[in-house]
Amino acid sequence: MRISRWKYLLTMVVVCAAPQLAHAQSAAPTPHPVPEEKSWRLGVALGYGMRTNPLIQSDDIPVVVDLDIAWFGERWFFDNGDLGFELFDRPSFTTNLVARVNSDRAFFSKTNTRYVNFTRASGGVVLPMTDPLTGEPIDAAQPTPLKVPKRDYAVELGLEMLMDGEWGQASLRAFHDVSGTHNGYEIGVDYSYRWTHGRLSVAPSVGVAYKDAALNDYYWGVQPGEAGLTLRPYHAKGGIGWETGLRTSYYLTKKTRLAVSANYERLEHSVALSPIVKRPYVLGYFAGIAWQF
Amino acid sequence: MRARLFYFLAGVLGAALPATAADPPPVRLVVKPLLCVIDKGASSCAVTFDIRWQSTRAAEYCLNADAQPAPLRCWPSALSGQHQQDRAVTEDFAFWLSPPTGTERVAEVKIEVLRVGSDDRRRERRARHVWDVL
Repeated sequence: MRISRWKYLLTMVVVCAAPQLAHAQSAAPTPHPVPEEKSWRLGVALGYGMRTNPLIQSDDIPVVVDLDIAWFGERWFFDNGDLGFELFDRPSFTTNLVARVNSDRAFFSKTNTRYVNFTRASGGVVLPMTDPLTGEPIDAAQPTPLKVPKRDYAVELGLEMLMDGEWGQASLRAFHDVSGTHNGYEIGVDYSYRWTHGRLSVAPSVGVAYKDAALNDYYWGVQPGEAGLTLRPYHAKGGIGWETGLRTSYYLTKKTRLAVSANYERLEHSVALSPIVKRPYVLGYFAGIAWQF
Repeated sequence: MRARLFYFLAGVLGAALPATAADPPPVRLVVKPLLCVIDKGASSCAVTFDIRWQSTRAAEYCLNADAQPAPLRCWPSALSGQHQQDRAVTEDFAFWLSPPTGTERVAEVKIEVLRVGSDDRRRERRARHVWDVL
């Protein structure tokens, strides 16, 4: 029911947007002559960086190479995995319809399994424990695996509104699962401002996002069938997370720059309390040299 | 046979080596900065260029720039020169040295303009992938 209502909302937006499409391109004024941009944007950055993994039994994600692959047509665009269609382009904002793959799933690709032996000591004697669910004694010689449950990728469809001005740039977005994976949604807003002085460019950013219970519970909850001696059942609720970041570039040539960036993301409170989460945050950083082709 | 090979090699080397007597004196032209970064919303960047040249042989040179029909400055017979120029830069251009009479560029330096940001907001959207840090 929730999905169909959401799809109906998206359909209405597209239908309402249709008459506007013919005018969308001519609406944006050009304040000064700017060389025409290429449709393709290809870039690569080499350096060293890390993205921490908040999951238990997981490895942090090293970032040695960062690829930038994007294509921008008159209305369609592909931006590093996101497929978009420009609905409106007004002097003060641009609205796009975007299909993307949920990013929470990426953490689940870097997990390991740990084996745990359960025993208890009583009066100086080591005794086998009993399974609280079945009451049966646990074989101490048989290790119990502790591993993060598997999660699938979700394809999400949504709207994003991009705004900019002398005050900086901001975006509003709302995405809903259309693949039937988590059936949840996310609403977010972020803001950034770029200072450019000489060859140096510094862009701090902040963002806030709300993820509903369905999304959070699918990725970060522990379902009864996944629970056991090593993981207790857990239902993650909807909540608000936030992030802040800083991206710095020092341009060496027209196509080459030194890039240093850092990003801190605070997980939603209910996600942070999950038994499969060891850290309530995700920290990312990178320093290297980037080429734009 | 050996003599023929010697003359062949000598001829090849002779053709490959520069005829030093006819060459203009080597001149080194150094300009700072070489890159001008223009952010979105700005139409140009105001730069004070520091231009220095040095030659191994005293000669008369004129400093020129694209879109400037007249030389910016000429030096009488000198081994080096220095000049500063304020300029509002909007596109790539070059500074070069030439003899007072003639169009030959004895040394040239290209100044590049980089526009950061785009009028197409889609190009400014932030990627939100876990592996993306740039």
